[in-house]
Amino acid sequence: MKHFAILTDVTRCIGCEACVEACQKTNGTGDDAPHRWQPDPNALSSSRWTTLAHTREGRFVRVHCRHCLDPSCVAACPVGAMRRTPQGAVVYDPEICMGCRYCMIACPFRMTRYEWSSAVPKVRKCILCYQKVMSGELEQPACTAACPTKATVFGEREALLAEARRRLAAEPERYIQHIWGEHEVGGTSVLYLSDVPLDEAGWPRTLGDHPRPKLAREVLGTVPWTFAGVAVACYGVHWTLDRRRKVAAAEHSHEDEDGGEQ
Amino acid sequence: MSGANNSRLVLTRAVLWLVVGIAAVVAVNRFARGLGATTALTDATPWGLWIGFDVLAGVALAAGGFVIAATVYIFHLDRYHAIVRPAVLTAFLGYVAVVLGLLMDLGRPWNIWRPMLFWQPHSPLFEVAWCVMLYLTVLALEFAPVVFEGLRLERPLRIMRRLTLLLVIAGIGLSTLHQSSLGTLFLLARDRLHPLWYSPILPLLFLVSAVALGLMMVTCESLASSWLFRHRPEWPLLGGLTRAAAVVSLLYLALRLGDLAWRHQLVYLLEGSWASVLFVFEIGISAVVPALLFLLPSTRTSHAGVATGAVLGVGGFVLYRADVGGIAHLAVGGHHYVPALTEIVVSAGVVSAMALVFLFLVERFPVWEERPQVPGHFTAPMRDRVTGTFFGGPWFSRAHLGAAGLALGMVLGVALVEADAPTSAAARLRPVPAARTALIREVKRNPSPGHRLEVLSPEQVTQDPDGIEAALLVGGGRNGRVVLFPHQAHQQRLGGPASCGKCHHRNLRHDRGTPCTACHRDMYAATDTFAHQPHVEGLGGNASCTKCHQAGTAPARASARACDAPACHGGDVSTAAVAINRSKLPAGYAPGYRRAMHTLCIGCHTRHEQKTKVTTPYLSRCTTCHRDRAVEPEPATVVVARLEAP
Repeated sequence: MKHFAILTDVTRCIGCEACVEACQKTNGTGDDAPHRWQPDPNALSSSRWTTLAHTREGRFVRVHCRHCLDPSCVAACPVGAMRRTPQGAVVYDPEICMGCRYCMIACPFRMTRYEWSSAVPKVRKCILCYQKVMSGELEQPACTAACPTKATVFGEREALLAEARRRLAAEPERYIQHIWGEHEVGGTSVLYLSDVPLDEAGWPRTLGDHPRPKLAREVLGTVPWTFAGVAVACYGVHWTLDRRRKVAAAEHSHEDEDGGEQ
Repeated sequence: MSGANNSRLVLTRAVLWLVVGIAAVVAVNRFARGLGATTALTDATPWGLWIGFDVLAGVALAAGGFVIAATVYIFHLDRYHAIVRPAVLTAFLGYVAVVLGLLMDLGRPWNIWRPMLFWQPHSPLFEVAWCVMLYLTVLALEFAPVVFEGLRLERPLRIMRRLTLLLVIAGIGLSTLHQSSLGTLFLLARDRLHPLWYSPILPLLFLVSAVALGLMMVTCESLASSWLFRHRPEWPLLGGLTRAAAVVSLLYLALRLGDLAWRHQLVYLLEGSWASVLFVFEIGISAVVPALLFLLPSTRTSHAGVATGAVLGVGGFVLYRADVGGIAHLAVGGHHYVPALTEIVVSAGVVSAMALVFLFLVERFPVWEERPQVPGHFTAPMRDRVTGTFFGGPWFSRAHLGAAGLALGMVLGVALVEADAPTSAAARLRPVPAARTALIREVKRNPSPGHRLEVLSPEQVTQDPDGIEAALLVGGGRNGRVVLFPHQAHQQRLGGPASCGKCHHRNLRHDRGTPCTACHRDMYAATDTFAHQPHVEGLGGNASCTKCHQAGTAPARASARACDAPACHGGDVSTAAVAINRSKLPAGYAPGYRRAMHTLCIGCHTRHEQKTKVTTPYLSRCTTCHRDRAVEPEPATVVVARLEAP
């Protein structure tokens, strides 16, 4: 199965925002408008599924959904509106969504945005132009197609990882020897190369390599056993105490055999 | 009971109706205009009061139901039998409150049924949804005998009694699961929760805190009803409840602190931040103080001591849930969530509505079936079968007061929603008027800080030429005033002479000579400086393309005639775009957009960038602006693109 991925080379980005423009046009997000919940119009929003973070060193870093290999938003969604496709894109179906916004709480990168101003709101985030690419309408996501310097490119994850390693090896002095997204939170489909640390540009140091949903999955796996255990224990205690009481009562008198009930 | 005796009840009821009235109006507003108009939620803080209080705390408050049911039916501590029904009723209403709160909070509540049909067993919230739904059913069935008894339906009553044990066990199992699952919910929020609250044993902590909270809640409820219905508190019961609550609280405390110590997270307590203060406060009022009050001989039998402990404990454990639910989420981008007044009102309204239902039910049905007949005690509020009245007080007067409360509440609600509208809805925006140049003189205003500018007419200039400067003025946006545009200050702040391109020609969509509003969005209506459609219409519709886009050159976009073409705005632009620096730098005279870029900016940039190797913002490269002509860059170009730190 071909696995979609995006490789962004921060050293090549000139900050022209062509990716943002292409994304907005392709996905029909409408223009950015300032809102109470959107003090910075250039930040990620429900009408801006990808944007550029500006680092202190003057680099531009693309910000958009990482399409994790084990996505927290998908693990969180109680209705299956967030879905990880076989191609690796994490997509969203507003018709199913009940608007609980647990995906927004769960996302370790905080990449999901909400249509706060709508009475029929949707969760908004990059979907790798999944439907359009699968239907053949687009060859690749709008953002990578629009990039004038090929700073952000689309391809197969393994191929892009190989390309990233090639670049790291070919120009070791140009890059920090790290591929962001290769292992973070269990790996993502959006990979970054950079010559400056990306701690404050979407890849906090606290991320670590373990996939977030793992612990919750383990706990949820115990649910049937917990329920059965509690039920059996309750009945056991009830039966024992009831029995003891009945025996005591029988020893003293011959009345009241319905203990435990109202 | 006489009417005078019920004054507490009548007034309480009127106040509850008032709150319900306000909340109802706000709720309508929320469904009509969306969450953004009614709440203080943001993308950084997507969950707020309605989840943190109504749902998380509501579930916990209802924990009294399963705790007491277990005490009586499983452990056979029959002396607690008297409070089973009120506890079950509270739990049931607590869950109804949870569902109401959830319906308010869900963006698309009409899809709330979906977890039942489309299973997502990997989601903690899915499990919570199922447990809440099942447990709500169980609680309704557990309470059903009370209703059957009140309506004298003997057969269903017998059937339900036979099911009691089954229901109790199911209820305990379901409660165990989803009290803990509420904690599991936040295992996924590891990256948001402050380390003092995140823990791998969150499920266990939530379960234990729910038991403690349930015990304290039943205590509170018992005290409140004895106050409201003027009977003496049941000390033997309260003593047992509070002792149990103290033990469970201390267990919670040990688990909480032990876990933090085990994982070496206690160090965050010493950081002195608001979070560490909150942690100490929360732990103090939820576990430490109540446990002390419940165990110390001097306070454990005093009315004030037990009441204080129970109220503090309930508040503290509710705070714990609210902290995990949102308050202790690490702020990002300076977003701090403070609930909007409208949110608080809705939460209060849900609780008030449940309290009203509670009062309604206890008056009509034998909720307090086995109140011990202690001399001087008020016996359970029963239906007066002769007159059909309840609790003394003539029915109509109470109804009047309640209706008046509701009506007043709705009026207040409308006022609240109206008052809230301008701040919470998308700010209404005005376009920024075009910049213009003018001759100004600074008018000294002492002692007030800042300065005020006087825009001068030509006559004034000739009369008094002192202190006159040419300046660039822009509209101030909302207040209609004109302000001086400090060009030099902007240039310095944005990075000196190399920064022109950050404003002039940021190359956003369409043409955009990048107005102030591209950065200062707060003031904008539409960010395009070049409104294409009005031009097309004004110049004669579809046939007019070639008036600007000269035929035979491709692509058309790049070959559009600049605004300053003599036939178009040649005259306007050359005067309107005069940007005179207030500094000693030579005045930049921009006779039009195209010439400004190609002659004034790029010329210098090309020379400068070649000389200094400084490449921001690449103005010497054509493709920086003319993206539609961009080609695959040569490797050499890419190397040039590596920036030197400024």
